[in-house]
Parts: sequence; structure tokens; C-alpha cells
Amino acid sequence: MSATSMMIKTESKLMLRNPGVVLWTAILPVVAAIVLGAIPGTRNPTDDLGGASFFGVYQPVLVLFAICMLAVQALPDVLTRYRELGVLKRLRTTPASPGLLLVAQLALIFSVSVVCMLLMVVLPTFFGAPWPENVPAFLVSYVLAAWAMLGLGMVIASLFRNAKVAAGFGTVLFFVLQFFAGLWVPRPTMPGWMRTISNLTPTGAAQQALADAAAGHWASIGYFGVLLVWGAVTSLLAVRIFKWE
Amino acid sequence: MIEVRDLRKVYGPKTVVDGVSFSVEPGEIFGILGPNGAGKTTTVECIGGLRQRDGGSITVAGMDPAREGRAFREALGIQLQESRLPDKQTVGEALQLYSSFYEKPRDWRELLDRLGLGTQEKTYFAKLSGGQKQRLSVALALIGNPQVAILDELTTGLDPAARREVWSLLADLKGTGVTLLLVSHFMEEAERLCDRVAVIDGGKVIATDTPEGLAAGAQGEQRMSFIPSAPLDLAALQQLPDVHGVSTSGDRVVVSGSDNVASAVIIALHGNGITAQKLRVDQPNLDDAFVQLTREAEEDSAMTRAGGSR
Repeated sequence: MSATSMMIKTESKLMLRNPGVVLWTAILPVVAAIVLGAIPGTRNPTDDLGGASFFGVYQPVLVLFAICMLAVQALPDVLTRYRELGVLKRLRTTPASPGLLLVAQLALIFSVSVVCMLLMVVLPTFFGAPWPENVPAFLVSYVLAAWAMLGLGMVIASLFRNAKVAAGFGTVLFFVLQFFAGLWVPRPTMPGWMRTISNLTPTGAAQQALADAAAGHWASIGYFGVLLVWGAVTSLLAVRIFKWE
Repeated sequence: MIEVRDLRKVYGPKTVVDGVSFSVEPGEIFGILGPNGAGKTTTVECIGGLRQRDGGSITVAGMDPAREGRAFREALGIQLQESRLPDKQTVGEALQLYSSFYEKPRDWRELLDRLGLGTQEKTYFAKLSGGQKQRLSVALALIGNPQVAILDELTTGLDPAARREVWSLLADLKGTGVTLLLVSHFMEEAERLCDRVAVIDGGKVIATDTPEGLAAGAQGEQRMSFIPSAPLDLAALQQLPDVHGVSTSGDRVVVSGSDNVASAVIIALHGNGITAQKLRVDQPNLDDAFVQLTREAEEDSAMTRAGGSR
């Protein structure tokens, strides 16, 4: 078996043996999405939400909840721990690059988050919720959002040496990002200035792009631009400042 | 197999490695000894290509670690100080994973048995004893079938039984053709395992020799102690030509002196009809040599400092 597939296999096994984080990440938003989709009232357009439905606003928020938790909490936790254990340094002594471990972790976290997203889109339809009307736009928005989130997670894993500090920072960032996605104050009801800030955050832009896709159209190019910039900047930054030991 | 010439490494204003040179022959077990903070780990990390050197040259199996590539990593196995694995990784999984990194790995099952971990294949890393963890670490350094293996502070923090366990493993490796570079601050470890050792202190090599050669070179005195079967004239003992010092400790008489002191004292006692009971004779060992060497190095540098400030 090649080193890459062996690494992914090993890391998947390790993740399955510590299922806590992943289960917690997946179950909460998926159940919430199902409950939300099962209540008929949530599907009607509401004037308070600027004509959008409750489900239309909150399904993207929940989808972002899962990827955000995995990317800014689970990912830095695993990587900083590996650095503390000296696993990354030990890999440097082998012909394999320690980068292989990062690739394996990113692939794994991304796969889990895609499964969560699919569950949150598909399962509610069994209870009468609508499908996203523009599937390609939904998927493109999702991939760009995931890139920006994983980039942020990598920056956290690069900035902090200590797993506990990284976890603490990840938690704070998670709540900030969820706030701007509109978990507590839905974006359509945010005051203008707050919404402007939200538009520039990765979760705010991603919520708009996903909600527009669910409603059947592509969001304006600016939202994709915001996600692209976040993804590119965080990735470059992480590559520059990441330390193996 | 390993050739180090005038190696230098500087961290900020501090010169950690200051002109280290030594060479290791193929198949040799070579020890690097030194007190904590002497520059041992930095030296081997430069040899292992994990740190960039600031001066000098290094060749390992014909390659320069500073321009390390895949071939270098294939040829060299490294066991790093304080390097662990994920708690829930099993011994077998770790070995399989690491063997997938190499072109021609050893058979991991055979290695497992050889290191006495055969029954631990499905055990989580967190459940292994200290000695087992270190043996697994050695296994990971050897899995790629390297020509050279560097083992850094392999037995630090292990209890005496586990330490002996690891030593017997390394003794078994002797003669398998792999060249071992062993970093340690345990003299006993070097005495048992190493063909030759370099003593490093203050970033410099202060001696290179066989462990026996170093011990013999120490100006340590022989020391003997015994309980005389009858009262003894200590002053007369002091007059013997090989004796440097006589003292008592409880019932025991302690005599120190040159190489022949033991036989000289026994003969003298015998002449007076006295026997030496519970006799103990201590040779100067590598420990003594080490303490003496590092103390001299310290005094030298203290003198240099004093001279420089004038």
C-alpha cells in the first residue's frame, strides 16, 4: 500500500477510536436540520426575514456549524497534539514528508464534513423540506466555504504550539464565526453595519451564498470573492508559519 | 560511515557546537557522551539533517545531510529524544505505517519478534510500558533497513530493568552490520555497548577513545576496603610505597593508591598474620574518567574566561 493511502487509513482508524469530537460535531447540527425541516411552518416565507423562509436561512447556518466546528476545533486539536507528541518531527526523519499527515488530516476532516452536509441536505427532505434549488451553486459555495474554514483551522494549528491554547482559541473563533453566520441574529435581521461586517467574514459570505443557492440562484460574485480571499490568504499564511516541532 | 569535521552550530549569541569532529566506522557502535546541555542532541540533529549547521562538514553514508533527499532518509534511521505516538495507535499499525514510507523496509513482523514485542502487536501505544515504548521507537528507527541509526537518549527515564531490556536489544544488533550512533549521559550504557565513545562538553569533543581506554586514562586511584581480622597498624600501612592514603570507616579500612596497591597491602597484611575480610577493590571506571574530563574542561574554560576579562 502506498504511503499516502496507508496514512489516510491509519488516521481514519485513529479518528474512529476517538469518535467524541466528530460525533458531537455531526449529530447536533444534523438533528437540528431534520427537526427544522420537519416543521411545516419553517418553510413559509417570512416578512421578518426579508421574504426568506426560516428553513432557508437556518439550513445554511447549520451546514456551516458542522464544517466550522470540524475545521477550527477538531483539526487544530489533532495537529497541535501531533506536534506536541513529536509525531511530526519523527515523520521528518523518514523518506515520507510530514506534509503527508497534514494532507491526510485535511482529506479526512473534509470528507467527514461533506458527509455531514449531505445528511443535512438529504435527511430533511424525507420530512418534507425542500431540496436546494440550485445544486451546483450550493456545492460550489460549500467547497469554497470549507476551504476558508480549513484554512483558518490550519492557521490556528500553526500559531499555537499548545493543544489546549489552540482549542481555547478555536472555541472563541467558532462562536464569532457562528455569530456572523447568523446563528443568534439571522443575517436578514442584522442592522446594516453589522451585516456589512458579516458579509466580509467567511461564514457570513458563505451563509449568503448557500442560502441564495438553496433559493435557486447564484449569489453575487462578491460573496464568492470573499470566500476565495479567505481561503487563499489563510492557506498561504499557514504554509508560511507552520512549524513541524 | 559517518564523518564529522569542525561542526559548528550557533543559536543567537551562543555557540552550542564548537568545532566537533569524529568519524564512525561501518558496523561500529559509537557513543556520544556528555553532560546535559553539552551539545549532544544538536550535534546528532545536524548529522540527521534536522538542523542546518553553521560550519564544518558532515558525511553520512557518502551523503551530506544538509542536502538531504530521499536517499539520505532511506539510509538513516533516527530515534528522537522524547518522541511519542498517538495513544490509540497499535504497535502493529505504527510499524506498518512507517514501513510504507521506505523502498525496501524490513519485515515488520520479524522486527517485532526480534524486539520482543511480538505479543504486543495489537496493543495501544498508551498501554505499553516505558521499555516497550522505547523498543518500539528503536523498531521505527530500524524499519527502513538503514545503514546508520541514531539513537538519542534511549534509556533516559527508564527504570533499571527496562534499561537492561533495551541494552540487551542493542547488544543483539551488534554484528547485523548497522552502524549505531548512541547519544547518552549514562556511562554504564556506553561501557556495555559502545566500541568507541566521544565525550562532548561545552560544544567541543574533549576525548575520543574506547570506553576502556578512557577509563584507564583517568588518573583515578584504585581504592580497596576491607575489615582486618586483627587490629592493624595504620601508620605502617601508610608507609608502603604504593599506598597514597589510609582511612577508616567504621570497622572497614579504606586504602587508596596506585595500580599495585591491592597486592601490596595483602602481602603486608599476610606478613603480619592478618587477613583482609570482605575485601572490595574498585577500579577507576568510565564514570570517573567522565567526571574528571568534564571537570578539566570546565576549569579550562573558566581560566579562559578569567584571562579574557583581564
